[in-house]
Amino acid sequence: MNSFEYKRATSVAEALKEGGTFLAGGTNLIDLMKYDVESHDKLVDVTRLPLSKIGEMPGGGLSIGALVRNSDLAADARIVQHYGVLSKAILQGASPQLRNLATTGGNLLQRTRCYYFYDTALPCNKREPGSGCGAIGGFNRIHAILGQSDQCIAVHPSDMAVAMRVLDAVIMIDGPKGKRSLHIADFHRLPGTTPNIDTNLGKGELITSVALPHIATHTKSTYIKVRDRQSYAFGLVTCAAIVDQAGKFRLALGGVAHKPWRATKAEDFLLGKPKMAENFRAAAELELKEAHGYEHNSFKIELAKRVIVRALTEIS
Amino acid sequence: MEQVEIRVGERAPSFEGRIEGQTTVLAFFPDEWDPSRPAQVSAYREALRSLPFGAQLLGVTHDEQWLELDTAEEGPIRFPLVQNQNLASTFGVAGKQAVFVIDPEGVVRWSHVGPLGTTPSLDELTASVQRAQKPGVSRRTLLVTAAAASLALACVPRRSFADVPQTTKGERSITLNVNGKDIKVAVDPRTTVLDALRERMGLTGTKKGCDHGQCGACTVHLDGRRVNSCLVLAMQAEGQKITTIEGIAHGDQLHPVQTAFIEHDGFQCGYCTPGQIMSAVALIKEGHTGSDDEIREWMSGNICRCGAYPGIVAAVKEAAKK
Repeated sequence: MNSFEYKRATSVAEALKEGGTFLAGGTNLIDLMKYDVESHDKLVDVTRLPLSKIGEMPGGGLSIGALVRNSDLAADARIVQHYGVLSKAILQGASPQLRNLATTGGNLLQRTRCYYFYDTALPCNKREPGSGCGAIGGFNRIHAILGQSDQCIAVHPSDMAVAMRVLDAVIMIDGPKGKRSLHIADFHRLPGTTPNIDTNLGKGELITSVALPHIATHTKSTYIKVRDRQSYAFGLVTCAAIVDQAGKFRLALGGVAHKPWRATKAEDFLLGKPKMAENFRAAAELELKEAHGYEHNSFKIELAKRVIVRALTEIS
Repeated sequence: MEQVEIRVGERAPSFEGRIEGQTTVLAFFPDEWDPSRPAQVSAYREALRSLPFGAQLLGVTHDEQWLELDTAEEGPIRFPLVQNQNLASTFGVAGKQAVFVIDPEGVVRWSHVGPLGTTPSLDELTASVQRAQKPGVSRRTLLVTAAAASLALACVPRRSFADVPQTTKGERSITLNVNGKDIKVAVDPRTTVLDALRERMGLTGTKKGCDHGQCGACTVHLDGRRVNSCLVLAMQAEGQKITTIEGIAHGDQLHPVQTAFIEHDGFQCGYCTPGQIMSAVALIKEGHTGSDDEIREWMSGNICRCGAYPGIVAAVKEAAKK
């Protein structure tokens, strides 16, 4: 790891003034720096900022401070009761120790676990733009089948973000140019020709909280995670699903794309249709119609369809 | 054969590498010396800097068994590293951690002998080296010899750290609260809690497995919550309470989880065990012991390569009842 300057900020204003790279739970950032995948001159520790509360928003919904630890978020009674899918997703991610460190903001910003991204001896357009993609034509079992480009087929590793995608979370940001917010749909990016840029968070900007819009109590929800071992592994294909107040299905997939993948085609297809197996399968077929697999991950296309059907069946 | 420990005032057994007429510091720390670990080299350099003659370690070449010191006035001097497995027995300290200061005549002037993990004070060592030195002896006359060992590991500086010249970018003295005690330690910003515990404080109960948050061997409690200490910077943990495996027993009375691990064979090689136990203590407090499956799920952050999982689950279940 290259040396860096360590600063601790105690307020958002101070953190923004310091600039540098923000350090919260560190579960991904420190790891990446140990592998020399990332190198930073200055780390600004934001863990002491007053952003660790979950509060109720006027007009309904919850505001989750960016520093709320994953374990606290998953265990919060309000989250369990109203946003069960989020609690379920978080508890299927990482380990208890990591969830005790990892924060809400940091989880959204975690980077892909693509082997080629992590191995500095190999080409990777995300790590080193223009160097090529080792995964295309390489070992690509864990890689994307939707929305990828010829530059990058990495997937976003978060479970939490997939659940937030069906909940239509809004990410609140503060930065040198002031406050703004981004709907989670617009927060993460597809790789295109700039796979080195994961999100639309600007330079020097800090996530301060995540807003969850109001949702009916006891909304039926599920989070299905298919992985190579039963616990403590990244998902091959995951699916967050809820039925909202109006009886409309909301679906998002993880492990299949560079960002949490909202299955809008499947959702639209199911509008007004009877909740039955053949419609579920048809919706899944439609969603995965444009999926494209590689040597080792083509199984994900059929897997994703079956996971969608199972999720829809579970909450119907 | 029962080994006889060489005492202060006795003549030191002769060994290859010691030069008559020079003060020698001989440090035994049989298992842990690894010059490829930057933290150890950095700690070693610091220890040398604290000695009165200003020697500085530039590099340790493992293959050639030489270490190179740079003195301000006389330029680099290369000293041999003694690689003699029998030397510890000759000195009567096999399996122990020991430091001997041998004067130019070959007489032991100061020694520290204790079980592995115990650390003598660097201040004491420094003072004894000064006493062993004859007036007028040049800087070059000090020979630092390490027998498959690191002086830094054998001597953890405990005091006057703030006075040590700072050469590393951003290095500074911080206070960490470990097992209820405030401990002052100088760290580079890169130092993790794990490395601070193991390399700087001599608390080697917490283990380094993967060093990337994937195995759980480094699990400690930070303000009562279990975390991977390999992913937390020491500077981040300032002001928080760190509890390690060394801090959970009450004197000689083991923590119930420790007892349960022994009773239920919760380990084979034992390397992951401190992390498993720290995780289990937290898990019981968290209340995730409702079923074997629940215990398995909530212990999944701790990998056991020996596969002692059935014993671990039984131990956790047993300890949870107490």
